[in-house]
Amino acid sequence: MILGALAIVPVIASAQNLRGWRESSFVPTPKGEWTGARLSDGQPDVSGHWSNTIGNHNNLIDPQGPLGADDEAAPTENGRQNARRVKPRSERAPSRISDPPDGQIPLQPWARAKQQEFLKYLNNPIQPEYVEPFARCAPGGPSKSFMWHGYEIRQFPGSVVFLFDSGNRVIYIDGKPHLPTNLKLWNGDSRGHWEGNTLVVDTTNNNSKARLGRSGEFVSENATIAERFIFDPSGDRFTYDATYTDPTVLTRPFTITIPNRRVTDKTPADDWNNLTFPAKHAGNEPIIEAYERVCVEGNGNHGQVAVGSK
Amino acid sequence: MSSRTLALLAALGLALSIGSAVGRAQTPAAAPGIPRGADGKPDLSGIWQSLSGADYGLEPHLATKDGPPGAGVVEGNVIPYQPAALQQRAKNFAARATADPRTKCFTLGTPRGIYSNEPFQIFQRPRDLTLLFEFGHPVRTINTNGTEHPDGHIDFWLGDSRGQWEGDTLAVDVTDFNGETWLDRVGDYNSDELHLVERWSYLDRNTIRYRATFDDPKVYTKPWTIEVLLYRRLEPNVQIIENYCSTLEYGEHYPVPSTK
Repeated sequence: MILGALAIVPVIASAQNLRGWRESSFVPTPKGEWTGARLSDGQPDVSGHWSNTIGNHNNLIDPQGPLGADDEAAPTENGRQNARRVKPRSERAPSRISDPPDGQIPLQPWARAKQQEFLKYLNNPIQPEYVEPFARCAPGGPSKSFMWHGYEIRQFPGSVVFLFDSGNRVIYIDGKPHLPTNLKLWNGDSRGHWEGNTLVVDTTNNNSKARLGRSGEFVSENATIAERFIFDPSGDRFTYDATYTDPTVLTRPFTITIPNRRVTDKTPADDWNNLTFPAKHAGNEPIIEAYERVCVEGNGNHGQVAVGSK
Repeated sequence: MSSRTLALLAALGLALSIGSAVGRAQTPAAAPGIPRGADGKPDLSGIWQSLSGADYGLEPHLATKDGPPGAGVVEGNVIPYQPAALQQRAKNFAARATADPRTKCFTLGTPRGIYSNEPFQIFQRPRDLTLLFEFGHPVRTINTNGTEHPDGHIDFWLGDSRGQWEGDTLAVDVTDFNGETWLDRVGDYNSDELHLVERWSYLDRNTIRYRATFDDPKVYTKPWTIEVLLYRRLEPNVQIIENYCSTLEYGEHYPVPSTK
C-alpha cells in the first residue's frame, strides 16, 4: 500500500504567491505494482491533466528560494521590485537534485563557471547565449518541462504523449529503435516501457539546448537521460526521476526528482498548475479540457528578459 | 459516371494490379478492411501527408519561382471572395515573403496544417483525436466525446474542433478561429468568423479523403469546398521529428556557444 501522498505538507498560498500548489516537502512514490485502472492495451491508465507541486524553473536546486544574490532586486512582470517573502531554507522544498546528496549538479569546473556566467547575465542578456531559451518559447527539454505549467498525458497503443505548455513530447513504447544519433532534439528521442507502476524511459538524441533552470545549469548534447515516471496506484500522484549521464559536463551522474499531482475538476483554477476549464456538454459527468498551447505566435516580453534579441 | 472516368478507373485498376503483383514479394496483401478501433469506428491513427501541393496555392496555378504548378483543390476552381477580400488577398500575395505566418514559423492553423507539405500524426482515442504536426510541433485536438464549442468566441490559432462519426465519416465542426492564419503560400485567407466543416473518411486503408467546407461571411460570398487526399507514410523508420522551426534562428547559441 502506497500512502506517500498523505505525508505531503501543503503550503498555503501567500498573498504574493497565489499560484496553487507549492509543497515544501514530499515523499517520492516507490516503485511497485500497478493496481489501478488499465487501458485496453494493458498500460496503467495515467492519462489526464497533471502538474508539478513544488514550483517553476526559476531555481533548479532551491525551487522555492531566491535566484542568486540579486534576485530580490529583479523586476517583476509589472515592473515593481520583487517583494516576495522567502521562507527559511528548511521550510522550502528541497533541491530537485536528489542525487548526489548535496543537492548540487556535479558540474566540471569550466561548466560551473559557465553556469555562474549564465546566472549573472540572466536579467541583463548582453550576449545571445544569456537569453534563457525558454523565454523565447523554446521547448523546456525533457526535465524542465516538469518545472512549468500544468500539462496533459495522453496514452495510445505504442506511445505516451505529453502536451506541455511549451512543446510536446512523444514517448514511444512500441520497441522501435532510436533515431540516428546525429539528430539532436530539444526534447530528445524517447523510448520507454512499463515496469509495474513505472514508465521507464531512455531518452537520447538530446540537443540539451534547454537549460535545466533559469539558474543556468546545463548539460551537453552528449547527455543521456534515464527517466522513471513512478505512478501511485491511487492515480493522484507520480514522481518524476531523471538520471543524467554526461561525461562532457559532469563529474558524475545526477538525478532530478520532481513530485507531480493530478489536476481534476476539483482542483482550484489558478492559471498555473491548473490550466483546464470545464468542457461544455449536455451530460452531468465532469469533463475538463485545456486550451490549445501555442507560444511563439503570441510571445512578448516575458520571463523578465528580452526575447527579441537575435 | 462518365466514360472518361470509367476509362481512368480501369487504367488505375490495371496499374494497381501490376503494382501489387510486383510489391507482393515484400509486403503482405492489403487487408480488405480499413483499420477500426475497439469501438468499431474507423481508426485514423498514423502518420499522414498530403501530396496535393495545395500549400503552394489552393486554386489552379502555374509554376512560379516559389513553387510547382497545381491543378488546384477547390471545387469549382475559384474561391468566392468578396471584392474587398480579393484586394486583401492581393496584398497578402505581394507581401508573402514575410507576411505568410509560415515564414515566421507560426502554427499553420486549420485546415492548412492538414494539406501543407509536412507530415502530421493522428493519435486516436474514442474521446478525441490528437493531431501532432511536424512543422512547429503544435497539437490540435478534435474532441469526439459529445462536448460542444465553448460559449462566446475564443481566438484559437487552430480553432476549436468538435467531431462526431457519421457512419464511417468523421465530421468535424471547427469554429473560434483567430483570423491570423493563412490558407496557403499565395495569400488565401479567412477571418475569425470562419466556420469550417471537415469530413474525414478512408478511401482505402492507406488513404484518407479529406474534405473541408469554408463558410466565412466576412470574406467569402458563399461557402466553398476543398478536397485533398492524405497518404499514410509507410517507411519503416518514419517518425514525426520535432521541428520547432522558431528555434532555428537562435539555436546555435545553446547549450554553450561553440568556440570558433
